[in-house]
Amino acid sequence: MRKGSAIAAEHVGKRFGHVEALRDASINVDYGEVVALFGDNGAGKSTFLRVLQGIHRPDSGQVTIDGKPVEMSSVRDAQEHGVDTVHQDLSLAPDLSVVDNMFLGHELMRSGPLGALGFLDRKQMAERTDAALRELSIALPSLNVPVSQLSGGQRQAIAVARAVMWSSTAVLLDEPTAALGARQSELVCSMMRRVADAGRGVLVVSHDLPRILAMADRVVVLWRGRTAIDAPARDLTVPDVVATMVGYAQETLA
Amino acid sequence: MNTVANTSPAASRESAVDTRATRPTPWWRQALLTRATAILALDIALFVLFTALSDNGVFASSDNVQALLLAGTEALLLAVGLAMMLGAGIFDLSLGANLVLSSVVGARVMLHISTPAADGTYPHAAAAVLAGLLACVVTGAVFGTINGLLVAYLRINALIATLGTLGIGTGIGYVISNGTDLSGVPTQLQENFGLRTIGVLPVPALVALVVATALYVCIRYTRFGMRTLAIGSSFSAADRVGIKAPRHLLKLAILGGALAGVAGFIDLSHFGSTAIQGHSNDALNAVTAAVIGGTMLEGGKVSIIGALWGTALAVILQSGLVIVGVSSYYQLIAVGGVLILAVALDRLTYIRRRAT
Repeated sequence: MRKGSAIAAEHVGKRFGHVEALRDASINVDYGEVVALFGDNGAGKSTFLRVLQGIHRPDSGQVTIDGKPVEMSSVRDAQEHGVDTVHQDLSLAPDLSVVDNMFLGHELMRSGPLGALGFLDRKQMAERTDAALRELSIALPSLNVPVSQLSGGQRQAIAVARAVMWSSTAVLLDEPTAALGARQSELVCSMMRRVADAGRGVLVVSHDLPRILAMADRVVVLWRGRTAIDAPARDLTVPDVVATMVGYAQETLA
Repeated sequence: MNTVANTSPAASRESAVDTRATRPTPWWRQALLTRATAILALDIALFVLFTALSDNGVFASSDNVQALLLAGTEALLLAVGLAMMLGAGIFDLSLGANLVLSSVVGARVMLHISTPAADGTYPHAAAAVLAGLLACVVTGAVFGTINGLLVAYLRINALIATLGTLGIGTGIGYVISNGTDLSGVPTQLQENFGLRTIGVLPVPALVALVVATALYVCIRYTRFGMRTLAIGSSFSAADRVGIKAPRHLLKLAILGGALAGVAGFIDLSHFGSTAIQGHSNDALNAVTAAVIGGTMLEGGKVSIIGALWGTALAVILQSGLVIVGVSSYYQLIAVGGVLILAVALDRLTYIRRRAT
């Protein structure tokens, strides 16, 4: 497994007109590590995530991927650097099969003249989907049913597996447990751990403090666009995090 | 690496497919339960019924079957083109206007190249017909391009955009033809193509079936088809993985338009003249055929086979009612009823499934 920083941002600032969404936000995610990003609504979590995804270009500060400074202007740029995102709405096409969703935008073509005509190599796509799902210990009733026929947890698993498949450095997850029940949330947590064990840096934005705090390696708490806490998860309790999120104990903890 | 994954129970299995909690439906049962199959069954039942009711079973005579096939040809071309567009979530109300305009332009080009001589022969007939075919297809494709630009790049609601081009296209068609049907295209067009048959199969119907087969293969096996459904299924999901959705929608609109152009050419070769009044309901008939067959208006699901049987349903009802001596007006009522029934049954299953 690679060592060191998978994705990081240092002293990032970002303004939208008069609104200063980020003032001094920093985060670092090492390979093999799960880092949780917490913050109250309006603290700048979404903006910060979008900076790391390449959607927003920071006004100040620097984003690095695999230890190297990068300039990104689109999600595509981030994907080319090996960073992929699991969106809160999952970004799956509900009418397409599991296999087709896994390869949407990265389709494998048949070799020879059929490939030139645009024919898909569904056999190989199915084999690689199967392997990618197995690597994360995901089991589904079928790979050929439309994903709309699967449960919320199964869809979440597909979205994670897809991000893992097309990422080489880091996977960013936006509220992966927001729509799930307790048991499925636990499955998603163990899946994030396996993604980290498979050598990616994992960054998870969440409101599900107890669960995520219990499984993450590090925690970053944003408060009014600044990094208020950056500490190992085992040193923190849920009340600590909540207190920082709402701003009471910022001085004492930071 | 991967130690956790390797020791977990799922990873020790051979496959990520775990059917223990489900009973997979065999493929033949799935095929039997599709909407397309249901409509095919209805088609067959109606065909048998009308054959039994008609004098000497004349409904099943090869002459009548040929007439049915020819009548369905243009409708099928429009329906499959529209089904592709619906699959990506866009709509086209202007297909009938496109067909008329294409046929008018095609006729003008043919008449320009080949003016009938005094002895009733047509000089340069072959060149005229080929140029006419090209004119029809190009006109249709340009019409589709305009629709596509309006819908995909200017983001005008497809219903509104194509309602607009429906009016514009019809108007231009009238202007070019001075409001009267253009006739006098080379008779070779009818003799060698429009009314030509191979066995019982009219050549134009063969063209439509080849097109339908190609689109069936396209939807099921190609990247273009998969991306069409992806865009109709979730525009944002397609966009986020880097698919250039506007460009794809433009291609679909051009495809649908070009097929309307082909239908315009077939119209000319069938009747030997334009039929500018005869196509005002074509676009809605195409929607009906596609949706009856199982294509979703909301996008994400296309059934080319369904569109084929849906088109057949309209044609069989139309001709059958006439042959058994009932006014063909009832055909409109019957097709409308089947459309609502088919979609309503779908909604009911959907609502019931969501309730459990």
